[in-house]
Amino acid sequence: MDPLIVTQAINLLYAVSTLAVLALGLAVIFGLLGVLNIAHGEFIMIGAYCAYLIQSWNLPYLVAVTLTLAICGLLGWLVEWIIIRPLYRRPFDTLVATWGLSLLLRKGAEAMFGLGYRSVAIPIPGRVALLGTEYPIYRLVLIALSLAVVGGLVIWYGKSRTGSRIRAMVSNPELAQAQGISVRRLAAGTFIVGTCLAGLGGVMVAPLAPVQPFMGLDYVLRAFFALIVGGLGSASGLLSGSAVIGGFDSVISAATSATNGYFAVLVLAILFLWLRPRGIVARS
Amino acid sequence: MRAASLVVLVAIVLPLVLGQFWAYQLGLYALYAAAAVGLGLCWGQAGFLPLGQALFFGLAAYLSGLTFIAFANVPIVAVLLIPLFALVSALLAYVIGLLVFRRPGESGAYFSMIALALSLLGFQIATSWNSVTGGFNGLKGIPGLPGLDDISDVYYVSATALLVVLALAGWLFNAPIGVLWRALAQNERRLQLFGFDTNQLKSVAFSVSGLMAGVGGAIYAPQQGIVTPQVVGFGLSADLVIWAAVGGRGSLLGPVIGTLLVGSLTSQLRDSVPFWEVLMAVFFIVIVLVFPRGVAGLAEPLFRTIEGRRHNKPSVAAPGDPAARPPAKLALHDVSVRIGEVTILDQLSVDFDQAGIFCVIGPNGAGKTSMFNAVSGELAAASGRIAFGGSDVIGLPPNRVGGLGVARKLQIPSVFPDLTISDNLAIALWSSRATKLQLLNPRLRRWKSPMLDELQSRYAFLATGARKAAELSHGEQQILELAMALLTEPRVLLLDEPCAGLSPEETAAVMDLVRWAAKRLGGAIIIIEHDMSLVKELAEIVYVLHNGALLAKGSVVAIQADPKVRAVYVGGEK
Amino acid sequence: MITQKQGPTRRTLLGAAAAGAALGTLPGLIRPAAAAGEFKIGLFIALSGPASLFGPTQKACAELAAEEINKNGGILGRQIKLIPTDAGGPPAESTKSAIRLMLEENVDVFVGSHDSATREALVATIKGKVPYIYTPVYEGSECAFNTYVIADTPEQQIRPSLTWMMKERNAKGIYLIGDDYVWPRKCNEQAKQYIAENGGKVVAEEYVPFGAPNKFEEIVTRIKSAKPDAVLITLVGADNVNFNRTFAGFGLDKDIARLSLLLEENTLLGIGPESSGNLFSSMSYFANAPSDAAKKFKADYVAKFGDKAPQLGLIGADCYGGIYCAKALVTKAGGTDAKKCMAASEGITFPTAAGTVAMRGRHVDKTMFLATCKGTEFDIIKTFADVKSGDECKA
Repeated sequence: MDPLIVTQAINLLYAVSTLAVLALGLAVIFGLLGVLNIAHGEFIMIGAYCAYLIQSWNLPYLVAVTLTLAICGLLGWLVEWIIIRPLYRRPFDTLVATWGLSLLLRKGAEAMFGLGYRSVAIPIPGRVALLGTEYPIYRLVLIALSLAVVGGLVIWYGKSRTGSRIRAMVSNPELAQAQGISVRRLAAGTFIVGTCLAGLGGVMVAPLAPVQPFMGLDYVLRAFFALIVGGLGSASGLLSGSAVIGGFDSVISAATSATNGYFAVLVLAILFLWLRPRGIVARS
Repeated sequence: MRAASLVVLVAIVLPLVLGQFWAYQLGLYALYAAAAVGLGLCWGQAGFLPLGQALFFGLAAYLSGLTFIAFANVPIVAVLLIPLFALVSALLAYVIGLLVFRRPGESGAYFSMIALALSLLGFQIATSWNSVTGGFNGLKGIPGLPGLDDISDVYYVSATALLVVLALAGWLFNAPIGVLWRALAQNERRLQLFGFDTNQLKSVAFSVSGLMAGVGGAIYAPQQGIVTPQVVGFGLSADLVIWAAVGGRGSLLGPVIGTLLVGSLTSQLRDSVPFWEVLMAVFFIVIVLVFPRGVAGLAEPLFRTIEGRRHNKPSVAAPGDPAARPPAKLALHDVSVRIGEVTILDQLSVDFDQAGIFCVIGPNGAGKTSMFNAVSGELAAASGRIAFGGSDVIGLPPNRVGGLGVARKLQIPSVFPDLTISDNLAIALWSSRATKLQLLNPRLRRWKSPMLDELQSRYAFLATGARKAAELSHGEQQILELAMALLTEPRVLLLDEPCAGLSPEETAAVMDLVRWAAKRLGGAIIIIEHDMSLVKELAEIVYVLHNGALLAKGSVVAIQADPKVRAVYVGGEK
Repeated sequence: MITQKQGPTRRTLLGAAAAGAALGTLPGLIRPAAAAGEFKIGLFIALSGPASLFGPTQKACAELAAEEINKNGGILGRQIKLIPTDAGGPPAESTKSAIRLMLEENVDVFVGSHDSATREALVATIKGKVPYIYTPVYEGSECAFNTYVIADTPEQQIRPSLTWMMKERNAKGIYLIGDDYVWPRKCNEQAKQYIAENGGKVVAEEYVPFGAPNKFEEIVTRIKSAKPDAVLITLVGADNVNFNRTFAGFGLDKDIARLSLLLEENTLLGIGPESSGNLFSSMSYFANAPSDAAKKFKADYVAKFGDKAPQLGLIGADCYGGIYCAKALVTKAGGTDAKKCMAASEGITFPTAAGTVAMRGRHVDKTMFLATCKGTEFDIIKTFADVKSGDECKA
């Protein structure tokens, strides 16, 4: 097989799986709680900076995961309590408030690290021969990890008791509350899971992206579009949305040019929003 | 009027007080403010948020720039074409609105995302289309407006444009269409059932906001001399949202205050105050959480004292009975409705007489409300026919069915809580009588009809026009909704548990009203009821539904004796 | 009566307080007329937005120049007062600031280190009333009245370095990749000329949307398959970092050389040591440039600002030259009269961070450096003296 095609095919897989894992946190927050969290990208940024810090302290890369979960968890709890909870029934106000939050977080990162770019060395450098071509090992690892994280979360959501409680809360909060489920705590917990997943995504992509305070903005847009195209509230929605958005972007960029890929993403998002606002996998 | 004159006075005097540079700066921000007013109209009045407002501002700016360059020798032509550029933006917004809003569902967030994506697309096109737009560096060399030499002259042009925009917005807020927008934001379903095409209403709101942004953009080009892609993109769109939110999106002047205050203060203080952006971020989080009505909300009491007392204007007679529409017969033939695996209505065939009071009873889940929803067009039927007055209404959207003369009173009292009682009643009057163009005429808010007089004499509280509907008790809201349904002088009236939650006195009053309405309207009144004592009192014929099909039909006595009915449903006495 | 959660009184008080505070700050915003004897320079630098990472360096270098000049008597006997102003936002904001500086501060000279869109807007606003000196890298062809450019031009950046690369590295097939706006396109236009002159060929010419969240896996794969000898990169900012990391991640850095035209110290930090092999940069200034002037400049900079000073680089150091250019221009013209400045500009010489330069046709000829990357430091391997700007304005 033509090595160019093989490589682009793996690029496609990489694009889709990383988009899925980066949109996962938002899928939880927007898809399940209906909260328009524009600051999602900043939690990814926090994860990336945690990775940077851990590396600069010469600790093993995996420790970054722990640090990220701690910080994003704490922040997520604070944010849900102060900003999100009073605004559950006012989605546009949540949008404005989380926009303010994202500004704050960016300024915080700027204050701590400055505006310059930081580089995070790839923890597993090098390439491996694969199907007649060479491909970076770390990206392959990311593909596997992304699918594992998404898959793991989906299975947990479907099979665990907490998962079924969350599903109850999402479909009928009053009834769930009446059944003895503490909706307030469960919603807070769900939000925190979302922010932690975003941070985790940041740790994963940090070695491959320019790490600077504005980096989050790049991810928010694609994540929102992937979710809306795919359909909110289900794993198949997340995956199909990532497949469509990430896939079209990758294929068109590979075949023609990056500009066309970007235009395609925008036009696709608009078409889907217009023609199938419930998404590919509409929740009944 | 007093507040308006004050605003104009301030606008004239401001540059003389603040100096040339401020005049120039305010001249720029006044154009942004025009776009913000449009945004406030959509968000604060009609209840949806256009996240890509800059698209309309920038589109008009580029068109204007290109035209001013093309007619550099005859600038007056370009000046005269300025309204055209704004109209192009308005038209684009209208088309987008029509295409997007006709899709039902949670149009809120999706619409916002589409608007955002379009703004991003516009930015990319502007950056990439070098030959036309000048690409990233922008469209430069745009000649200025003719006859303006002084730097601060631009202020007067911008201020005039903003005042025109404000006048338009003020007129629309007070006109029936403004009331309808606010009603839409509060209870879209109810408005549709009154026969209003809410999708078109939203599109019109969006179009007006595009027009306002277009006015700003069209003047921006000759004023600045250069148009860059930032004027179309996300940055300006986000700023407009922030300014409208901070200033107060629900009020007329709120977005203006937000833009002028936040916008111009930011650019003044950004260089001198450290951590200015942090302060701003905290500031708008606080505003959203604590003062959702924005700065204008804080200043509202001040405005009220300036405005003084509102003088009551005399009422206006509404045009005569709606198209002299006679009562009509409603009949369902083999109507089936399925949601997923569950059958809601199972080949339901019900034939209502043309006139009289009929009750529909049945156990929970029998499909009574679903039958009403199917008639209204809110529930899609898989098969069957619904005949009303000779035509088949199956498949029509709710506003069309409402427009044909089907009035409904919903199970849970459904009025427009934040509107005054008189506005609530006025909406009902407009429902079948006002043409689309008339909705722009503020006189319609004072419409009265003979039936309204009769209702107000029966129920005094309906005459306390200035109170908000939310202040009414549960029982009063039931009666208000019933009154609104009656005011449309419908050809058939569908009531869903009209006495739920009412005291015995209120129940008796409603029953009186129903009997009176039956005589007055002369058509059929179909009531879903659980309380057998009420059914006995009112019903001429009773229909029993079970499992989505008609089980029995007859007089009260007959169905009470029917063994099939007794088997599935034992009516309880209250 | 309407009941609210908070009584109207509290809200009114708060509102009144806020309004009062806002009004109270207004008088302070209207600054008093200039103190006699000050020479005001409006300094447009990136204080906000994505380019703001250069802001501290730009400000520091300008301050260094101003301090040195003031110690030696200032400009025409007047002490320089720098007015740093944000040019990192949309051009409309910058034009507003320019108007304010002209109307209220009566600035004598503008010095600007910002993007071209802002420059176009400023040129249109200033209308030649005040001398305007433009300092960073740019695409050439700016000849507006009373405007003076000391920025690196495409000819300066590309001709010597690309020629060297094609000869010394035997690079015949060149892949062109840049952001889609005027600077990269102009650079590539010129590059294609030099490539043809040197008997090479353009393997492909590609652009990515400017301002979009770009990723480069597909592009790098395309480059890999096209097998060029070298890549000429006109990407900027995060795109530059991202591309180079992806490029090296896929292992292309071993065989394919890269020449990047806006690669300064900050970007190199982002690219990181593992991705900077076989990567070249061509600019008129690097923090560790070998010339005596550059070493002295650096020493003075560290002496004034200490070890924790903002990172030195071309974007920033250009402001130093800009201030000195202002001095040379105004001194020779005897004032800030536009016609006199225009006439006087030809032939003025003044120091920049890298050394002394001379102005011809309102552009400057300079010494260009070609550096390779060692880890996160630049290693200057070639110096090209007196490179013509190629963009001299006619009168």
